[in-house]
Amino acid sequence: MADPARVKPVARVSEAPVPAERPKQGEGSGDAPGSSGKVSEPAAVQTTAKEQGKARSAEDAAAAAAAGDEEEGSSSLHPPPAKKLKVEHDKKKEKRQKVDEDEIQKMQVLVSSFSEEQLNRYEMYRRAAFPKAAIKRLIQSITGSSVSQNVVIAMSGIAKVFAGEIVEEALDVCEKWGDTPPLQPKHMREAVRRLKSREQIPNSKHKKILFH
Amino acid sequence: MAEEEDDPGFDEDLDDGGNGVDSGQGKRKRLFSKELRCMMYGFGDDQNPYTESVDILEDLVIEFITEMTHKAMSIGRQGRVQVEDIVFLIRKDPRKFARVKDLLTMNEELKKARKAFDEANYGS
Repeated sequence: MADPARVKPVARVSEAPVPAERPKQGEGSGDAPGSSGKVSEPAAVQTTAKEQGKARSAEDAAAAAAAGDEEEGSSSLHPPPAKKLKVEHDKKKEKRQKVDEDEIQKMQVLVSSFSEEQLNRYEMYRRAAFPKAAIKRLIQSITGSSVSQNVVIAMSGIAKVFAGEIVEEALDVCEKWGDTPPLQPKHMREAVRRLKSREQIPNSKHKKILFH
Repeated sequence: MAEEEDDPGFDEDLDDGGNGVDSGQGKRKRLFSKELRCMMYGFGDDQNPYTESVDILEDLVIEFITEMTHKAMSIGRQGRVQVEDIVFLIRKDPRKFARVKDLLTMNEELKKARKAFDEANYGS
């Protein structure tokens, strides 16, 4: 499951191997170790992950192109285009599986180094979920007809991500205002206001007037 | 200037300013209080989040689900909510999109595994 790695971490162990793999992007990686405070470090780790993702996909494209070129130029009996595509697809699948395994391994290393409080929080993070029956009842009360199980699964999953986005934003607000958790309603409302301006909260009540 | 929302003797619903999202949304029973508390702790809040914050979050989640359902009903097959419609609505948001894909893939794999397990049991 790749999801936890994408969520902004609460307390993140600095991943030592990652900066070494990162190709030189010229983004001031040199001065990062010395001056990185607590705020800049998660951002650096996030951009590292993003850049790694970009570099990996660039690598994939380059490898696929190289493989294609190699096969074409080697002999006159080059494989037909359909087989070439299949070979490229297999290579990409292998790479994706390898990437997944890497990520799983990194997660294992990370989780094994958690303190007890962090383990508790992580367990809650993974386990907490909306009850399927209540979600199903809610959706059916809106549509008036029955919905399939997959819809309930998808909707509860999305609702959990949504709740996570709000709590994360509210924690940002809380930290910015110099308060401490537990979150207060004012933090939640400010978080909602910010997310609305970024259009991450759907709102179909506002009537847009086209030519005002 | 009494905050009368907590007064048990009061039966009526007291809205402050009509902010449907922020204040208590009517007399509907709290559907997700326990689960939301665990979720907020998991996402980084304190181990005991404030009840008011949990209420606000519940209202937001219910509104979100309602909006998504209405939108899904208006696209694709009208009047019905299907998975494809949800995936279409969420396509611009990378996190949610990836999460839905993961969940549905995992669900398929689990169903396959259960089916294989049952068939193995039935055979032996």
